[in-house]
Amino acid sequence: MYEIRFHGRGGQGAVMAAQSLADAAVRSGFHAQAFPYFGAERRGAPVQAYARIDTKKVRTKSQVYNPDLLVIMDESLSELADIAAGLKPDGRVVMNTTKRPEEVDLGKGVDAVCGTVDASALALEVLKMPVVNTSMLGALARVWDVVPLESIVEAIEDRFGEKLGTRAGILNGEAARTAYDSTIIGRTLGRKEYGKLAEWAPAWNEIPIGNSLRSETRDGVAVGPASSSQNLTGRWKWSTPRYDREKCIRCLRCWWSCPDSAVIRLDDDYMRWDMDHCKGCGICADICPVNAIEMVQGAHTW
Amino acid sequence: MVVRTITGDAAVAYAAMLARAEVVPGFPITPQTVIIEQITEFINDGIMDADFIPAESEHSVMSVAVGASAGGVRTFTATSSQGLALMYEMLFAAAPSRLPVVMAVANRSLGAASGIWTEHNDSQPVRESGWLQVYVEDNQEALDMTIQAFRIAEDHRVMLPIMVCLDGFILSHVVEGVDIPEQSLVDSFLPKFVPVNVLDPKDPFMINPVTPPEFATEMRYQQDRAVEGSKLVIAEVDEQYAAVTGRRYGGLFEEYRMEDAEIALVGAGTWTGIAREAVDQLRAEGKKAGLIKLRFMRPFPGEELKRATAGLKGLGVFDRSAAFNGYGPVFTETRNALYGSSVPITDHVAGIGGRDITVDVVREMYDIVERNASGEKVRECTWHGLRGEQR
Amino acid sequence: MNRMSSMKDVPREDMLIHGHGACPGCGYAATAKNIAKMLGPNTVVYVPASCLVVFGALYPISSWKIPYFFTAFENTGAVTAGIKAALRRRGVDATVVGMAGDGGTFDIGLQALSGAAERNEDVIYVCLDNEAYMNTGIQRSSATPFGAWTTTTPVGQVVKGNRYFKKDIARIVADHNVPYVATLSVAHFTDFVRKVQKAKETKGFRFLHCLTPCIPGWRIEPSKGVSINRLAVDTGMWTLYEVVNGVPKVTYKPKTIVPVTEYLKLQGRFKHMSEEDILTLQGWLCEKWRAHYGEEPGSPPCPVPVHEEVLAHDGDPLYGI
Repeated sequence: MYEIRFHGRGGQGAVMAAQSLADAAVRSGFHAQAFPYFGAERRGAPVQAYARIDTKKVRTKSQVYNPDLLVIMDESLSELADIAAGLKPDGRVVMNTTKRPEEVDLGKGVDAVCGTVDASALALEVLKMPVVNTSMLGALARVWDVVPLESIVEAIEDRFGEKLGTRAGILNGEAARTAYDSTIIGRTLGRKEYGKLAEWAPAWNEIPIGNSLRSETRDGVAVGPASSSQNLTGRWKWSTPRYDREKCIRCLRCWWSCPDSAVIRLDDDYMRWDMDHCKGCGICADICPVNAIEMVQGAHTW
Repeated sequence: MVVRTITGDAAVAYAAMLARAEVVPGFPITPQTVIIEQITEFINDGIMDADFIPAESEHSVMSVAVGASAGGVRTFTATSSQGLALMYEMLFAAAPSRLPVVMAVANRSLGAASGIWTEHNDSQPVRESGWLQVYVEDNQEALDMTIQAFRIAEDHRVMLPIMVCLDGFILSHVVEGVDIPEQSLVDSFLPKFVPVNVLDPKDPFMINPVTPPEFATEMRYQQDRAVEGSKLVIAEVDEQYAAVTGRRYGGLFEEYRMEDAEIALVGAGTWTGIAREAVDQLRAEGKKAGLIKLRFMRPFPGEELKRATAGLKGLGVFDRSAAFNGYGPVFTETRNALYGSSVPITDHVAGIGGRDITVDVVREMYDIVERNASGEKVRECTWHGLRGEQR
Repeated sequence: MNRMSSMKDVPREDMLIHGHGACPGCGYAATAKNIAKMLGPNTVVYVPASCLVVFGALYPISSWKIPYFFTAFENTGAVTAGIKAALRRRGVDATVVGMAGDGGTFDIGLQALSGAAERNEDVIYVCLDNEAYMNTGIQRSSATPFGAWTTTTPVGQVVKGNRYFKKDIARIVADHNVPYVATLSVAHFTDFVRKVQKAKETKGFRFLHCLTPCIPGWRIEPSKGVSINRLAVDTGMWTLYEVVNGVPKVTYKPKTIVPVTEYLKLQGRFKHMSEEDILTLQGWLCEKWRAHYGEEPGSPPCPVPVHEEVLAHDGDPLYGI
């Protein structure tokens, strides 16, 4: 049995990718299943999806802990956490990045065949939008030949076609083919050490009763009221506001309108951006009456 | 100390007043309605200092109760049958949030075949909601247990909501002489409610946020242990109540003429009073009959029942509701508790939809238990008074 | 008390802080954040099932600085009433606010809302209206506008989008004779501040109905999560008004009606709409314009309604507005 784990962000189509892969596997005569991590995550938040492929009926329903194949749809996810954890010794990796496989670092102990593809750029080019799931499936077929590209393209055309229209189906199939051709195969050797994340995993009798918490720190983790600063939601961003203080008329609209309180109103009513929590939505630039804020592609930390 | 001849509903209302419940949401439903009527009368006469909130449904009643309890005040309400069913969702919010709401349930038949008469098929199905449940025998016990319920529920070792179940009409609308304790006596027994988790801007808590699988298992187990742990508190409170009022109920269950009993019945509610009569008759006839008055369905006294029934030659279980496809809920729980015991055990369903239970009906139950004890083949579950052949 | 009359007066301190999990560009979060800011630290918030219950707190982490409580979907009116009663009895003089979505207000929560309004419970009820059940994945509610795509009003071969008209919930609440009802838009800053301030200083039941754009549900650009509300008001899809002790007043009137197509074309949820359906919606809006503003919206864009009989709006002049 092969197990595949997809790492993406809400809105990138990780679940659709896993389902399409399972569909393609079934078309090629395998048994397969696909399912998301059942959470309540919003757009931009890290998500996982899983697929299993076997020559006989897939009976297990557990999540995937030791994948044969790791599909990383968003490079920045590997900065946050050890997402390659549990990868089998002979496991493989597909990653959306501009880097070459040798430059990819998924942490100490990871020594795997790796395919890299600039799926973001490719998706923009072919689909005119940054949805990378189908490109990643094309790259996957190049790295891992169990499910042939033709089945994957067929599955994509049907599934996406049904949901978004025939033309969208064909375009997404095209994205997969293009990605297949432009994937670079190599080897990744992990070097970096992930810091141990603080974790609060209390025993039953250590949990305050009534599903309730005060604002406090438990095992190094801030919990309870006003503890969400530690969620670095700024990592979700794909574009970054640039602020021109000279142009700012201190109207406060950006500060008021930011859903994430990432625009900080200083004492003199000029602004500063909290890039740890700015999701890059662009509301501030949109609402600014004097064009003092401009959105720049990519995640920046100026 | 005053003895008044009042209904079970009124007795409960007196208890809520004496316990100084501060917020009482309510919605009328027969046969509970008299409770909230009586409470609003107390409030409007100025002898009870509480906020009565006339919510627009039982769902909202329990929502108000949960909000008020989370707001840190002693909260009481009452319901029956369909009303309890409409509250179902919110029962499951109150218990894990560990909000010690006290609620009287005037037991009434739920659903079709629709009736307003007593049956335990309203409260028995929610024994898995995390609430404690006590069933009472008479109006005095209805009053006493409503007062005790606050003390049990609000004990920091417990912090769980509790239902005081009294048989609809048979208690709710029957008048009996009830000793109403002095306020000062109740005050000395029942300390002021000290909440553990409370919604107050001076000390902000988050209560009951969405909880991922990483924590839910531990929280459920904690709840499970709290229900089990309440056994100790129930026993303590029974003693303390006896110390101030002289009335002792035995905690989880009461044993009646069990010392040398060979055959016994176990069951809850007003049926137990009738069963006492039957036991006395049987004893007079030389039969070694006894009775276990089951008081708490949650916590269910499993181990304790096993010990109390060890050595019996036969045990019958009374069920005032059916679980369908076999046995009643009390039987299922009791037989489960007695696993490994050699006591032969039978189930006895009666009083469904308010059908009257007489001493003769209970004697019929003892008769089956006795025949079972002597090795005769009997039905494992008998519906008493049923027309037509049982299969 | 610090009386707030414009954005400048609004405190810097957040009560719904950063790090929450709302989608980028979430108008719901922007609105909730500002209301919480204005209500300040002496507030208890109840949130029923909604997007906010998911993105605002996930055990053990919370974005709420103030006391926070959640239990179910349909009971905002009742739970807040219970909390307020308890605080009052304990001598705690704090604001109790419930923040529900449109489903939790218009539909499943309507009964508890009506009960709380009728009893004039001393709480603020905020309806954050993103015009569908967004938390469960964009299903239609009775707040969904005519024509809109949702996953339960799909664009099929025969039927395309929602066939019903948005319910006027603020008016229904106002008919309970409560002290304060207002409609808000996060893009109309001063009007917003003034209304929250008014709600804060009023006693009794207060209802704030806020239009909160939803990026995935409306299929709009994340950057439009606030500003699109301007077009909602300019096209008549949203009216800014308040009802103080039964006396209604429009608080902001656009100079002229903007054709609804300007609003629709920015949103994927409307892109399938037929000319006939657009005309129907435009007709409904023109009737609404007359009713709310007491004047002719002018033509173009107003057509003669082609399906007059299906208009849910009855043209009642909303207490003479």
